[in-house]
Formats: sequence, C-alpha cells, structure tokens
Amino acid sequence: MKLAAFVSDYRMTVDTLERLKPEKLGIILVGNGVYHATIKENGSASLLLNTAADFYALSEDLETRGLSSSSVDSKVKVVTYGDVVDLIFNDYDKTAWI
Amino acid sequence: MATTKLGFIVQRPPYKSENPKLALTHAIASQSVEVYLNDGDVVTADVAFIGDGVLNCLKDQKAMEQYDLSSTESHIKMGLLVDLNILVCKEDLEKLGLTENDIVLDAEEFGADLKINVVPYQDINKMMEEMNHLLFF
Amino acid sequence: MGKFTIGCFASLVGSMNLDFAVKLAGAAMEKGHKVDLWVSGNATMISIKGQRAFKDYSSLEKPLKELMDKGLNVTACEACAEARGYTKDNTMEGVKRHSMDWYLASAFDADRVLHIGGE
Repeated sequence: MKLAAFVSDYRMTVDTLERLKPEKLGIILVGNGVYHATIKENGSASLLLNTAADFYALSEDLETRGLSSSSVDSKVKVVTYGDVVDLIFNDYDKTAWI
Repeated sequence: MATTKLGFIVQRPPYKSENPKLALTHAIASQSVEVYLNDGDVVTADVAFIGDGVLNCLKDQKAMEQYDLSSTESHIKMGLLVDLNILVCKEDLEKLGLTENDIVLDAEEFGADLKINVVPYQDINKMMEEMNHLLFF
Repeated sequence: MGKFTIGCFASLVGSMNLDFAVKLAGAAMEKGHKVDLWVSGNATMISIKGQRAFKDYSSLEKPLKELMDKGLNVTACEACAEARGYTKDNTMEGVKRHSMDWYLASAFDADRVLHIGGE
C-alpha cells in the first residue's frame, strides 16, 4: 500500500499515524499540521518528522499562518494544491485523513 | 461486474461528535448502494475500531434513555445484522483495561449471524491493505 | 485523467477543512480530473443558499458555484441536512441531496477517495 496521510493538527489526539505500516508513506501537512514543518518546540523539530515517510507541507496553509518556506524543515517539501492532487494520483494509491 | 472494498477506520470515542456513528451509518449504506450501480457491481464495507475508537464498542450504552439518541452500540449491532465485517483491535482494548466481556460481540437478539472480531492490530493493518479506499473517522 | 471522490464531514463555519476540500476539488478539476464532493454531518451547512459572506467566517458559496458551473458534482447527505433544518427549499441551486449510499456509489468507480472525517 502506498498511503498519503493528511495531518491537519499540531497536537494530535490519535496515534494512528505511527501505527500505519504501508510500503510507502507520504505525510502531507495541511491546516495546523503545517506547524510540524516549522516549529522547533524546546529547540527540537517535531517528532513527527522522525517518521519514515516523505513529507510535504501546503504552501497556502504555511503562508496563511505567517510561516515562510525558508523556515520549513529540510525534510519537508513545500507544495501547492495542484501538487497535492498530483501526489494523490501519481505517487500514492490510498489516502488517510488522520 | 466489479467489487470495490471500503475500509472504515474509527479512531475516536463516541458521542463527542457524530462522526463515529456516521462511520457506521455510511458503512451500513453499502447494503443499498446497488440502486446506483450496474447489475453485479458491489461495494463492501469493513469497519475497524482502533485506538480510543474501541470505546464505541462498550456494551450497555444508554444513549436512548439519557439523550433520546440511538446508541453507537445499536448501530454496531445493525452493522452485524447486515453482515458487515467488524474488527476491534485487541491491543487497544487491553491498553484501555477492557476485555471482550466489556464490549458488544454479537447481535443475536436481532438475528444477526456475524459476530465482532477482536483481532490483533496486525490483522487490521492487513485489512487496510486489502481495501481499495480507506475512510478514517 | 481520473475520478476523485472527496467526502467532507467538517462544518463550513468552525473548521477550515471544507475550505481545503473545495480548494483541492478546484485544483483537481484544473488538472482535468472529474470530482465528486460529498458533504455529510456538519459539512451539509455548505449546501444552504443565501449565506451572508462575512470576512470573519468561511464562505464558500461563490467558489462552490464557480466549480459547479465547471462540472463539480456536489451532493449533500439528505438526512444530515434535514436533521439541521436544511430543507430542499433552502438548498443552493445545483447541489444534490441523497442518502449515504450515494457516497459509496461515488467511491465505487473513483480512482482516488479522500475522506475528510475526524474531529
């Protein structure tokens, strides 16, 4: 399974993501999920970024929150809505909104 | 003739929002979807309760008595009545200090043949692999 | 090009997940995909016509109409809408209302499904 998982929260109330074991995992940070890409809480990057996955953050949601692409962790690729569509159709076969 | 398999994954407790119940009502709707499809085409729905979502399965829910609302328990039983494959994560039950004795396991009073399957998370992962699409609640 | 079914259960006002769903639907259509948008639960709020647009609240009537004019198929869960007092008479023109099995039928032949539930 090639799974694109959408994370829209910074404080997550479920642990589903860390239990999913797809062959390929993409984590797409949207909404408040984009804080995972930028915030260094107590000096450290989000633990979410330690997941074995490819990471993407939605540029529109970064800009909405006053976050610049330059503050995004190097593991995370900044993408547009159009890029998200392409990821869903070309790189993954299932999606999960966690 | 084709079959599309949908996996409904419930990961949150009931009643704070209606979403866990909507997972069940949408899954149960797989029984009437044929009206929109060609002859022989089928949509199947498997339901898995994981994480805090296993709390949906506690028995003796009194939502009707307290809030005049159909209980999530009754929807789970309806799901069994229409032969949905319903899985409950064994590890998550144990983590929350629950056993099979605490949850709804069948709907014999409605005449349902199927029972709830309490399974290791590994089996739920396998189910998710087998589905065409996943819907997380 | 493929078929994309998006289901959303989040409220129009009180969440921005519907804004995301509508923008994603638009982006998918721009790339030539066919898109079905199913709204259920609190998301049926998007189906009401004549909502006043304030800049402090999400307002999606205009972009939704523009996308429907281009072929976006929007369907609201009838029971969820009726439970909230959203009747057929105050439903936005072009928005369909069906029972939940419609969503599953849309998923039947979809190449991709994104279900925005949660909350």
